[in-house]
Amino acid sequence: MEEKRIGVYICWCGSNIAKMIDVGRIAKETQKFSNVVMARDYKYMCSDPGQETLISDIKKYKLNRIVVAACSPRLHEPTFRKALEQAGMNPYLFQMANIREQDSWVHIDREYATLKALSLIKAAVSRVYHHKPLEKRSVEVNPATLIIGGGISGISAALEIANAGKQVYLVEKSDALGGITARLDLSFPFLESVRQMLKPKIQQVQAHKLIDVFLNPTFEDITGYVGNFKSKIRQNGPEKELLFGNIIVATGLQAFNPEVIPEYGYGKLPDVITSLEMEEMLMRGNVITSNGKEPENIAIIHCVGSRNSKYHPYCSRTCCSTALKYANQLRSMLPDSNIYELYADMRTFGKGCEEFYSDSSRRKILFLMFDQEEGLPNISKAPQNDSSEMIINMHEKLSGEEIEIPADMVILMTAMEAQNDAKDIARLTGISLCSNDFYIEKHPKLDPVATTTDGVYIVGTCQSPKDIVESIAQAKAAAARVLASIAVVNMEVEVTTAHVNEDVCCGCQTCIMVCPYTAIHFDEEKKVSVVNEALCKGCGTCGSTCPTGAIESRHFTDIQILSQIEGLLKSEKESI
Amino acid sequence: MAFEPTIISFLCNWCSYTGADLAGTSRIPYAPNLRTIRIMCSGRIEPTFVLKAFREGADGVLMCGCHPGDCHYHEGNYKCLRRYHLLQKYLQQMGIKKERVRLEWISASEGKQFAALANEFTETIRQLGPCKIKGVMETLT
Amino acid sequence: MSKETKNKPKLKLAIYWGAACGGCCISVLDVHEKLFDVVAVADLVFWPIALDVKYADVEAMENGFIDVTLYNGAVRNSENEHMAKLLRQKSKILIAYGSCAHLGGIPGLANFHNKEEIFERVYHTSESTVNKERVEPVTSYKVAEGTLSLPEFFNDVRALDQVVDVDYYLPGCPPQTERFVEVFMAIVTNASLPPNGSVVGATEKAQCDECQRKKTDNKRIKQFKRLVEVIDDGETCFLEQGIICMGPATRSGCGYRCIEGNSPCQGCYGPPSTSPDPGAKMMSAIATMIDSNDPDEIIKIVEQIEDPAGTFYRFSLPGSILRRKLIETQT
Repeated sequence: MEEKRIGVYICWCGSNIAKMIDVGRIAKETQKFSNVVMARDYKYMCSDPGQETLISDIKKYKLNRIVVAACSPRLHEPTFRKALEQAGMNPYLFQMANIREQDSWVHIDREYATLKALSLIKAAVSRVYHHKPLEKRSVEVNPATLIIGGGISGISAALEIANAGKQVYLVEKSDALGGITARLDLSFPFLESVRQMLKPKIQQVQAHKLIDVFLNPTFEDITGYVGNFKSKIRQNGPEKELLFGNIIVATGLQAFNPEVIPEYGYGKLPDVITSLEMEEMLMRGNVITSNGKEPENIAIIHCVGSRNSKYHPYCSRTCCSTALKYANQLRSMLPDSNIYELYADMRTFGKGCEEFYSDSSRRKILFLMFDQEEGLPNISKAPQNDSSEMIINMHEKLSGEEIEIPADMVILMTAMEAQNDAKDIARLTGISLCSNDFYIEKHPKLDPVATTTDGVYIVGTCQSPKDIVESIAQAKAAAARVLASIAVVNMEVEVTTAHVNEDVCCGCQTCIMVCPYTAIHFDEEKKVSVVNEALCKGCGTCGSTCPTGAIESRHFTDIQILSQIEGLLKSEKESI
Repeated sequence: MAFEPTIISFLCNWCSYTGADLAGTSRIPYAPNLRTIRIMCSGRIEPTFVLKAFREGADGVLMCGCHPGDCHYHEGNYKCLRRYHLLQKYLQQMGIKKERVRLEWISASEGKQFAALANEFTETIRQLGPCKIKGVMETLT
Repeated sequence: MSKETKNKPKLKLAIYWGAACGGCCISVLDVHEKLFDVVAVADLVFWPIALDVKYADVEAMENGFIDVTLYNGAVRNSENEHMAKLLRQKSKILIAYGSCAHLGGIPGLANFHNKEEIFERVYHTSESTVNKERVEPVTSYKVAEGTLSLPEFFNDVRALDQVVDVDYYLPGCPPQTERFVEVFMAIVTNASLPPNGSVVGATEKAQCDECQRKKTDNKRIKQFKRLVEVIDDGETCFLEQGIICMGPATRSGCGYRCIEGNSPCQGCYGPPSTSPDPGAKMMSAIATMIDSNDPDEIIKIVEQIEDPAGTFYRFSLPGSILRRKLIETQT
């Protein structure tokens, strides 16, 4: 058997780790572990010089197993695996110890944090000893793409991909393309017509030879895996089987229903309307109250359902600028009206938006601030012979005064929220949801449009509230990812799959029923279970179900995990 | 010296491990007694691992998976749930209090909840005292 | 007998019983007329059940004098331990013979109790005992004629390899006689032996491989049942009838004797080499078969497994990861 020569690298991550963990002491201690040939600490292991040290050590000291103690493997495992490959090693002969996210960042006692780090490293060393090289496998990527959602994000992604000459199946659950964007009048901050921008895009999609649009279809479970997904779709006609290699989910948002906020009286007071209802009026070109009159006093209330622990904790990002857009449009349409902006905080980030805000403040618009936690403004019907239809009572934060505002029309800047069926689509495509039911990206900074399921991307407001610019940017980013995977032709897939040891498998078939991907079948001739490794996603459930121990969960084998447990629990004095 | 429990935790990659990472990125401090093993799915956790942990000196074992219905691999967490209840019954028979092993659901966004769980479970184990199964055969023969 | 074996010097064979029921020795006697073949090639130098050879005679043997020792039974007391160490020293090949020597066996179930509890039960509270003076065994006792001694009763039962190094394991409660003969003949004929530490006389595959019952992947269990609770058609996999059968976690080699007798496998042949613990894999599999995702229902179904430890570790508690019950009053 080959001699195991382990190299251990302890990252300072600047002061992120080194501040709470005695990295020098750990390197010294680690050097004493059996089979550890080289242990060093370094300022930034993920930096180029850090990786170069690793690569040159592998060659110089003939290392054949590597442990890096640094951040979460969810962040840099791929980075170091690549470095191993560059050094000519199999990338799976590697293990990370997470001493940042799960140690230095969460503990406040340097001694404990250091001992914990040492134990995590011991465990990684014990584990990596048993690592086996795994051969990369690849699948051919079907060049077609399924896009779910025909809003601005889905449309943009579809055109990007189809214009590059690749087939797109665009599925829209309503009976028209355009999504929520089609319901908007002007965009902020430059007040351009959204319709003029969107309409030609929709026409291009409809005319494109490489885009098949399915409106209001029913479609079946998506099966398969990156490069080779499959689904059946029906749209007034016979069922059609679709084959595609990637999926872009662009299912968008829904507007928050403000009926649940009692203070605002939405649904009871006819002239309390939502921002989308305002858009409709603006598109029609006449802003009138329920009595058919032009409103004299107009109040615009921000953060309706956003940034409020009772409703949604997050900021919906577009409402402040949209509110300013209304104020500006209304100022032009109704020059004699009084316009009030009732805001909690003004958040006009983005190109041109802060300028838009300061210009607006010079246009006879009254800005009044309220505090969400102290109490929302309260809208009530005005007394019979009052000059206005409604009265808004609020505590104005900056002056500290209780004030009354007359209003004939109130516009509620409603929050963006995840679609009601977000969960269904998530299950269909294997995406995870965050606590607000928005979809979770693979990495919030480094991989914002990919998901944890290979070949599935998320774009637009299904991921989080965002404006048109950001949605289109994401759509094009995802399109680029998809096109890159198609260009590769053969795509690397999961190698940490399950494997049946045919010499041990007794054919009890217990594993077959637990596989969520129906990747295991029974070979009647050999009387053993067989894993279709193209379908296997490596969850390991069959491995822990097999009563015989015949199924090996690659890279998460019994011996690897048991050694890791041993390493974690060896007391400080015991060597490993 | 006061008793400091040693706890082995098994966290699924997609939800619980990510949740624990989030506690880190959010800098939420919690008890340093947890030592984590990452597996892809809570469905990979088998009783053998838990028994091994106790045998090697763990005072408690925490298993975490995605919330019911949210498993990245559809139903692995339910498999874990079934094993957990049978395992608890077995441990009880072996003189190991069933409270020493815990199964909880932690999603990728529940960093705060993970930290609270780590603290709370550490406290539970601290109250139970050290688990003495390690070495019990060696010392008494 | 072939010429080859005839001309060779005779093999020296010893058989010993530790904490055992005697069944293993009987399984050797079950060679019946083949015993003549055995004694044609081997001299039995020590076998308490059949020969009057004293411990002192064994002690007098040179180290490595015995070619093969079959040690059956677990290690329960200091006498078992002493003999295990002695026979290890005197034997070229030491075979843990039968479930008790292999993994602790039925006597190993005593590891649910400690010495005090066992003495209390056996010498005081058992229904047939009258022991007003509370007499208990002691390891040495002075009488007029001198000092009498008894072996020390240990707190734990151990498998043979937890006391001495073992070359091979021949599992079963008791081992199937044919398997013993095969192994014995392999040693006699100098056939290439598997690496030290191997299980012999059993296969790497589990019972299901041989079992003739019909198996499918539909092992979803809503209710665990005892054998008397079903009308067994003699054809359907026991597990698919809700009856716990250790078959898929147990090596074959016995010829699926129990299953063929319409009784589920209890696991005496021990697990395949791929199991780090003799019962945990089966426990995992059985739990996974529970057909519910509802915690309360799962708990109810689990309750139907009366005695998980005794079910999954009937023959293997000392050889399992936890090895014994933790009794907190122990100091």
